Amino acid sequence: MIKKKVTIVNDAGLHARPAAALVKLASKFESDFYIHLYGYKVNGKSILGVMTLAAEKGAELELELDGPDEEEATEAITELIADGFGEVYEDGNE
Amino acid sequence: MSNQVNNTEMYITGAPACPGIVIGNTSLYQRARPHVSDTQITDDETEVHIHKFYEALDIAEEELEALLENTDMEDLADLIEMQIAILKDPELHNRIEQEISANNKPVDAAIESIFRNYLQVISENHGETFQNKSVDISDIRDRLLQIIHNKRDDIKEGAILVARELSPREVISFSNRNIKGLITDRGGATSHAAIIARSMNIPTVVGTQRATEVINSDDEVVLDGRNGEVVVHPKDETREKYKSLIEQQFKRQADFESLCKKPNETSDGKTFSLQANIEFAEELSIANKYQAEGVGLLRTESIYLSRKHFQNIPQQVAFYKSILELTTPHQVTIRLFDVGGDKFFGDEGKEQNPFLGWRGIRMLLEQPELLKNQLRAIIKTSEDFFGRIRILVPMVSTIDEIRKLKDIISEVQNELLNEGIDIDKDIPLGLMIEVPSVALKADLFARHADFLSIGTNDLTQYVLAVDRGNERISNLYDQRHPAIWRLIKEVAEAGECNGVPVSVCGELASDPIAASCLMGLGINTLSMNAVVLPSVKQVLRSNSYIEMQQLAEKVLAAETMDDIDNIFSNWETKE
Repeated sequence: MIKKKVTIVNDAGLHARPAAALVKLASKFESDFYIHLYGYKVNGKSILGVMTLAAEKGAELELELDGPDEEEATEAITELIADGFGEVYEDGNE
Repeated sequence: MSNQVNNTEMYITGAPACPGIVIGNTSLYQRARPHVSDTQITDDETEVHIHKFYEALDIAEEELEALLENTDMEDLADLIEMQIAILKDPELHNRIEQEISANNKPVDAAIESIFRNYLQVISENHGETFQNKSVDISDIRDRLLQIIHNKRDDIKEGAILVARELSPREVISFSNRNIKGLITDRGGATSHAAIIARSMNIPTVVGTQRATEVINSDDEVVLDGRNGEVVVHPKDETREKYKSLIEQQFKRQADFESLCKKPNETSDGKTFSLQANIEFAEELSIANKYQAEGVGLLRTESIYLSRKHFQNIPQQVAFYKSILELTTPHQVTIRLFDVGGDKFFGDEGKEQNPFLGWRGIRMLLEQPELLKNQLRAIIKTSEDFFGRIRILVPMVSTIDEIRKLKDIISEVQNELLNEGIDIDKDIPLGLMIEVPSVALKADLFARHADFLSIGTNDLTQYVLAVDRGNERISNLYDQRHPAIWRLIKEVAEAGECNGVPVSVCGELASDPIAASCLMGLGINTLSMNAVVLPSVKQVLRSNSYIEMQQLAEKVLAAETMDDIDNIFSNWETKE
């Protein structure tokens, strides 16, 4: 099992689009993936779970990965988060 | 058709969200928040219910995948992808299975209660900023429930749809069923659903407050998306009136498209340029169809206001890029944030006279971080779009403001150059002419600018001392007022003497006859709401520059608004 801390850097935080990107990436790996934040623990492959975290910019997530491809998964997921999810412009509603 | 007594003609109004007139029968759309069963199921039944859940997931996913294929709007694609991710959510699957098998809940009640838990936690943790996305979450829940209840939504092909409100997903899915028009109780013309309706050219009236109360399914209605009017149970003569309007429109539409391909020149060969005022990339589909020569006014306020995170430079850059990519090879004039302090600082920023207050460049100069971020985003965008970006400064009232802004611009330029970014160092800087003192001294201001753009909406309210939001005095507000023409003439001359181009981006330019006057005053670049481009172009093309100059002389000599009305109606009927 690997545990690793990573900080949210994009301004919008872990909102819908980044959450979708994170879940999509995590689901490519076989390893179990959990995120710890503020005492919560959610399944990192569950978009609804990830969205309940409401992780904002500056929040420090603890990633927990367990499984045969845990190292590659940790690396890929850390990179995505540290890159700010390649955040592009997202149109808002009214 | 119907001879019932209660079918008397009735008018209701809302906000026009997409122009066009349609007549047809309505289908009432009720978003299924069906009563979920409150019974318990037996252990034997649980498997069937779990199976129903997975079936509904498959159907919903297929639908979304089909929508995804049909959309080329990036933010919509993001929204649909998010909804698909929810359908695939393994935790959601587990919890709903659990709710069915361990708590003996029927499938609909299980879906309802698990989604309720999620939505509750999400709204507690996010606060109000998440409101928008939670709508998309409950939307997908409702779709699942609809599928499970096998509820046909009773919407007939070619109907005019009446609904309380609509999600973006619903608008796209209805457009695939040849919906003729949309009428909603709630929402404004800038809501996401309205923007999508516009981009798909579905005549739409939103915010009627009571459409679903007074309209039943299969009622005949007339929907006039130009002014937001809906006529329920139209009388024969009303129907006939609108039918002939539709015919005219139809003809005009066909004419429009061929007209727009013709060159922008008056009957005696004087050229002009017509551009679009826009706020969202989606609006460019109409602008491009009507051959707008770029964007004369890109409003940036709603982007900021809709997101608390607009300090994010990459997001801003991506937005500007999306506009520039769709307007090749023309220019895009980006107006810096033009809002009052209250929009940024809540009640603390509230003022007695916000239109005479701390807004536009006055506020931006005192919020250097906000200003620098926007400038940085704009200038950074220029690395890929040399010569195509212009910056427009709102609410300028002193030359000192321009000096200060220029200092900040060169500061930002230097920062970017030092970072090795190859930026366009010659982005033209233009001034909005909307404060009367600036219009009066336009010659002095012109020396400090690369172009001038007359914003007639605010200029009019400042010159006439009429608050344009005050209904009691709205009869006094008219952009064609003789005093406005006189000021515009001064600005046009000041521009010409200093070799600085002058354009108009206010509503005045969207009136074809007023546009002809502007041409007559020597202003040949006009920017307007894209939907009116063809009607303006038609009038400008069918008259000569000399006639326009004569028209301009007449409005300059007018004494009263009545004179102006006469001059305009004579010009209209002169052929």
